[in-house]
Amino acid sequence: MILNKISIAEIKERMVKYPRRKSVILPALTVAYRQVGHLSDQIYREISDIIEVPYIEVAEAASFYTMFPKEPVGKYLIQVCHNISCALLGADSLVGYLEEKLGIKKGETTPDNLFTLISVECLGSCASAPMMQINDKYYENLTREKVDRILEELRRQG
Amino acid sequence: MADTVATVTLTINGREVTVPKGTTVLEAAKSVGIEIPTFCWHPKLKPVGACRICYVEIEKMPKLQVSCATEAMPGMVVNTESEKVKEGRKAVLEFILINHPLDCPTCDKGGECDLQDNTFAHGIDDSRFDFNKYRFIRERKSTFDDYRIGPEIVRNQNRCILCFKCVRANKEIFGEYDLGVFQGGNISEIDTAPGEKVDSIYSGNLVEICPVGALTNTDWRYKIRVWKTQQVKSVCSYCADGCNLTLWKERDKVYRVTSRRNDVIDEGWICDVGRYGYQLASVEGRLTTPLIKKGDKQVAATWEEAIGLIARKFREIKDKKGGVCIGGLISPQQDCEALLAFSKFFRTQLHSNNIDFRTEYKMLPEKESPYYSRLTSASFRIADIENSDTILVVGTNLIKEHPIVHLRVRKAVNQKGAKLYTLNPFTTKSGDLSRDEIVHVPGTLEAFLNGLCIGLAEKADGEGNVRAAELKARLEPNTTAKAAEICGISEARLNDLAEALRSAKKISIIVGELVSGSPAREAIAAAIHNLTVVLNLNERGQAAILSRAANSKGAERLGVMPSLSKELQQKLKSMWGGFPETEGRATDRMIHAAKKEELDALLIIGANPVASFPDGQFVREGLDKLDFTVVADLYETETTEKADVVLPLSSWVEQSGHFINLEGTMQRFEAAIKPVGNSRPGRQIIEDIAREFKGGLFADAHEIAREMQELLNVEPRPSFPDAVAEVKFAEEKIEKDYPYPLFVVDEMHHFGHLTERSRSLAAFAAEAQVEISPSLAEKLQIENGSLVRLESETGKLVLPAKISEMLDNDVILISRNFSGTAANMLQMRKKRIDRVRLIRVDEK
Ligand code: SF4
Ligand code: SF4
Ligand code: FES
Ligand code: FES
Repeated sequence: MILNKISIAEIKERMVKYPRRKSVILPALTVAYRQVGHLSDQIYREISDIIEVPYIEVAEAASFYTMFPKEPVGKYLIQVCHNISCALLGADSLVGYLEEKLGIKKGETTPDNLFTLISVECLGSCASAPMMQINDKYYENLTREKVDRILEELRRQG
Repeated sequence: MADTVATVTLTINGREVTVPKGTTVLEAAKSVGIEIPTFCWHPKLKPVGACRICYVEIEKMPKLQVSCATEAMPGMVVNTESEKVKEGRKAVLEFILINHPLDCPTCDKGGECDLQDNTFAHGIDDSRFDFNKYRFIRERKSTFDDYRIGPEIVRNQNRCILCFKCVRANKEIFGEYDLGVFQGGNISEIDTAPGEKVDSIYSGNLVEICPVGALTNTDWRYKIRVWKTQQVKSVCSYCADGCNLTLWKERDKVYRVTSRRNDVIDEGWICDVGRYGYQLASVEGRLTTPLIKKGDKQVAATWEEAIGLIARKFREIKDKKGGVCIGGLISPQQDCEALLAFSKFFRTQLHSNNIDFRTEYKMLPEKESPYYSRLTSASFRIADIENSDTILVVGTNLIKEHPIVHLRVRKAVNQKGAKLYTLNPFTTKSGDLSRDEIVHVPGTLEAFLNGLCIGLAEKADGEGNVRAAELKARLEPNTTAKAAEICGISEARLNDLAEALRSAKKISIIVGELVSGSPAREAIAAAIHNLTVVLNLNERGQAAILSRAANSKGAERLGVMPSLSKELQQKLKSMWGGFPETEGRATDRMIHAAKKEELDALLIIGANPVASFPDGQFVREGLDKLDFTVVADLYETETTEKADVVLPLSSWVEQSGHFINLEGTMQRFEAAIKPVGNSRPGRQIIEDIAREFKGGLFADAHEIAREMQELLNVEPRPSFPDAVAEVKFAEEKIEKDYPYPLFVVDEMHHFGHLTERSRSLAAFAAEAQVEISPSLAEKLQIENGSLVRLESETGKLVLPAKISEMLDNDVILISRNFSGTAANMLQMRKKRIDRVRLIRVDEK
């Protein structure tokens, strides 16, 4: 078992709240992601057993959401929005700048396992484009200077 | 006044159309012959409106509407062909084609592709999309990005138009969860669950339902262009469901089989055995010429020599010892014509009643079986299953034994809210669907049924049509508590089932081969009969023991059995001007007689009793004693090995004829190709022998058709009062050394002894395995695939183990379909339940 007692208890708790078991897939995936940091086939199987929804339906839902990493990622998962508003305001060069600063390509993780960089579809914060999400937090109206400060701060926290 | 269905009236293309309320605009248009293009719509699936090609214009609605998901409303004015509609559809196609590879020249769907046809119809010849197309590349070695998702199915995602019909049918209709939609947007893809494959018994339907060339199967891929083929109407020759098929052939080869939708039977679905089973017609190694045994070799001979020899030998035996010293076994997969000819030859020329079609099941004890006959001939409609609110499935792994009946049960449960209960000696796939999956101690079924009858009568409290006291006097066990204890089931569950049946409005009771194949069949049938009496089922449902093979019903109705009902005997006597007086022998008795040298010859058509009839040792000894054995089959088998004359038999695609399905419906199938080699259809072989022996059996084709019809007019149901039958359960002694009950069954993707020759079916399973539950595997420390030795009192076998998630008690299943694994060697003809011990073989 990958999921620990706490996660399992949490998933079971959610099951009571929804009229349909299928509705628990996303909350359960979120719980698993919080615990493990990424998702995997094994996790889908475990969730499928707990909430009694076919394995494939858990896997399908997980694959749809890019917010769930499917492989181990660094401590900080940087997701830069590349959708239209952000693209118009320089998302591309933002990704380029991050690649340069972190010394990795999009999709990679820094050797110290601190940062993983990916780009994703619209995160619903178009009014403050360009933007990115790092773990649970939004960073908006980004400029190079802002990015420098954010990275520095996160590095310091380690 | 009759029931009135609420209707709505609307206008489509200027025509007034009236349809039942709830009909979609698309179906309303179809009902008056107006065709609207579709991709994602399917008559048997819930509409999803995914593809948008079915756009129509509806007055007062500002935008185009998808007709497949829009309900027809009173007064609607619909236009299906306006300029706006055409523009809309064109735009949809342009979108769909954005990433489409346009590889029609190498696509198998070419010529029968909805995307090709619709694009052609809308005259799209340009795309405004100037970028590189998105390409899915899974297996880089492959030019066309083909990717195998199951033993037979190849997926090409680039061609997929995301109609989701495959995934929807798989989940909605088949209840299979092995295919899904992954990712999203323009990189959505159809794929298996990670680490799994698409290999259910219904998998071929996914290929048939795909409107484009995204899902193809290796059966048909790159073999032929569809427009070069001709279509032939056929009917499946495997299980008794009787699915309607289309054979696609060119010259002397069949290239594929698809369904030919028949809503009262198959609703347009077929199982993989029916779809790929045809392949065995044209595989290397077919017997193509008669063989006659000379010394200890079988050498090629002409038909004249072979038939001459058979006639001579039969005459000799008949003259010396009588025709009753000759017996006949014929496969229930032979057509009605062959079965009738067989019976007529034995009864009118040999004056012998020694014929049988049951060559796989234990026949002991052999006596009159009125209750069994009654239940096998009871009227039963597949389509009526849907109208039942309560369904009881007894003694069958239904999805395997009758895949299409299983789909109706699924439909009743999932779409109409029926309650399903299963009653079996082991867990089966239908269990997932059921309210309660009752697993009884093997060999105690009638005890459970007795308990159920008592429980029902007690609930009725004197008001039902049978009093509990009356039942108690005739049944043993005769309390619910005792019954529950014997069967290893809690009394509460027994009572719950009784309650469900009591309160049901309409009931279907479906009984399968674990009953018809059991030597206790008559006792169990009597117990089921009691249940129908207690439930007053005549007025509220149906109950039947389903026949198993494509024409088992035909064999019963036409009298291919040693003892027949009075009515049938009478009919035959008057039709043929005589009927043998001597008692006939069933399969078991024939072999027994052979062993005692009371039977000298056997004529066997299409059956392989040496490997399938319980028990193996007994059959071998019996056949070895025979003076003269004639065996007709498609391939060499364990039985042809023992023959003095081997005759090459044609398969059903090489002949036309009739099968009678489990409902009693006679269906005609047409020949697609000429007999392979020098083979001959069963009917012809029998007629040839008869002609040489004594004279022709039938004046002409009309006579055989007329005789068939007359026999089918005979009421098949033995009539006797609906009184309670006596059912006293007697426990079978268990030898401690052989603790595990053994069931010899069909492998999921096989039927009978020949399907292993089908390349596609062999891709699903090519050898026998010992299926055991995960808990038994753990107890005996057996791993998946490791070798195990099975030992019964009479034989042993070494086979790989397969740990099956389906099973959860200590039983063992082995398949009967593979040569080289004669599972019947482990069976004992006198035992009700075969038992074995299981030992792990440690490989060195
Ligand atoms: S594979 Fe075929 S049936 Fe399935 S979604 Fe794609 S086009 Fe439709
Ligand atoms: S084997 Fe039975 S279910 Fe399968 S196609 Fe044939 S008749 Fe239908
Ligand atoms: S486009 Fe970037 S947040 Fe919406
Ligand atoms: S057929 Fe109507 S939306 Fe696909």
